[in-house]
Amino acid sequence: MVKSLKYPYYFVLPALLIYTLLSVTPKLMGFYYSMTDWNLHAKEIAFIGLDNYRKMFADEEMIGAFKNTIVFAFFATILQNVCGLGLAMLLNAKLRLQNVLRTVFFLPYVIAPIITGYIFTALYHPEHGLVNEALRLIGLGALAQDWLNDPNYAMFSVIVTDIWRLSGFAMVIYLAGLQIIPKDLTEAAQIDGAGFWQRFRNIIFPLLAPSFTVNFLLSLIGSMKVFELVMVLTRGGPGYATQVFNTYILSAFSSGIYGYGTAVNVVLFLLITAIGIPVLVGLRRRELEM
Amino acid sequence: MKRATYSRLLLELAAVLLACCVIVPFAMICIGSVKNVREAALFSLSLPTEWAFGNYAEVVKAAHIGRGFFNSFFISGLVVLSVAVCASMAAFVIQRRNDRLLRAVYYLFIMGLIVPASIIPTIKLMMDLHIHNTYPGIVLYYTSVLLPFSVFLLTGFMKSVPRELDESAVIDGCGFFRLYVSIVLPLLISVLVTVTIVVMMAVWNDFFGPFYLITDSTKWTIILSVYSFVTQYNTNWGLVFAFMVMVISPVLVIYLFLQKYIIEGLTAGSLKG
Repeated sequence: MVKSLKYPYYFVLPALLIYTLLSVTPKLMGFYYSMTDWNLHAKEIAFIGLDNYRKMFADEEMIGAFKNTIVFAFFATILQNVCGLGLAMLLNAKLRLQNVLRTVFFLPYVIAPIITGYIFTALYHPEHGLVNEALRLIGLGALAQDWLNDPNYAMFSVIVTDIWRLSGFAMVIYLAGLQIIPKDLTEAAQIDGAGFWQRFRNIIFPLLAPSFTVNFLLSLIGSMKVFELVMVLTRGGPGYATQVFNTYILSAFSSGIYGYGTAVNVVLFLLITAIGIPVLVGLRRRELEM
Repeated sequence: MKRATYSRLLLELAAVLLACCVIVPFAMICIGSVKNVREAALFSLSLPTEWAFGNYAEVVKAAHIGRGFFNSFFISGLVVLSVAVCASMAAFVIQRRNDRLLRAVYYLFIMGLIVPASIIPTIKLMMDLHIHNTYPGIVLYYTSVLLPFSVFLLTGFMKSVPRELDESAVIDGCGFFRLYVSIVLPLLISVLVTVTIVVMMAVWNDFFGPFYLITDSTKWTIILSVYSFVTQYNTNWGLVFAFMVMVISPVLVIYLFLQKYIIEGLTAGSLKG
């Protein structure tokens, strides 16, 4: 009998080499370059310690980007999950057009985010955009806004676009979770007199824990990295009203302040790790307890 | 009984209304793509007074659309190949050996799912390696970005490939490389289909990577061509919409034909892996 085969280590090498070279190395380099004055015009790169980080704390645009990223991630994560779960529950109710509807709701996910951004630029147009036209049509013309150029609404408009784009993905994951829940469980509860809300809270939602973990984490991590939608829709504006980490990194890169831009990237890295890992651990534990 | 049918109708109505919110934007760009400058700028759903099919011809002339499609297809094809080979080989030994070293390697890959790319140092590194602005460079970049997910998925799936197969093959004198090629790989086909779909979609739709990493316009992917086209022609929405319709159409056709596999693949990837 072959007790334990000696699988050769070298099988892992191609993947490990490419990954280490082009993914791990630049991230590690980032820690170093974030502590330098590296820029477009400098002949030499000098080590300046934590100066870039100190500069960030004094930079209103950076503080804005930090706040906006948190706000965006918070609402995008919650709303993607609420809308996705809502759609999944709706389609799980065996509607006539179920398959067509599923295809339609997932559709935005397969389109490039940058194209979605351009489509919504047109939809949000203050005079002719369909959003305002629709509001006027149903007699709510007073609510019409300059959605992307008014600092009070710009972030809201970006979040709505993100929800349009990603709710269908969350829906599909929740639908898969719903289909594993045994019918007898919910039917038995219904016979025992449990209303829809009670069934949802006590049976359906707890059993959806794995789908919830996946959706919640993907939207949380993905929304902290948001880039294309903001860049196309508002370019971080008006003012800095929608500036997020990735658009701020782009503006630092365009101004040629590479060291500083890298430092901003390191902060994003730390933020995502600091939020993502505890959330992952917490959600996994919750799955086990339930 | 009557109440139940009413509430069902209400649900169906709500679902259809929501579906319209998804469809209408697509309808708007399709209609807009055959309007002249003035009418297209009104972004309305009404039909054009004069049909401007010429928009499409003009886009083809101005936008190097063939080159963009070729680059997207070429780059994503190579990335699929390199990700599938590298990730499946890695997943094979990671799952089978499962010792301390390979578990560390596995977690190193998993970290890549969470941690964002550090793009400015990536540019510098690629310049130092002289692969900046080259096809191999962008292919290697995407491979490194997409390996974590694929390794995660394939390692999970490897558990369902019985070890006994390996053992009997090795007893029969089969080397590890042949074991991988002729026994393990065929059994991984269904996940490899998922990996292919995910990788294709990720590369095809990505803007972030090529935007920073490809300055040579002859190597731009189609999404980057859209960006530069819109920057140049943003006053003529008829042309912009025509370009967008041309870029979206192949994706839509593929999605409509393969939607079952796309949705199942992505679900499997997220839930089972």
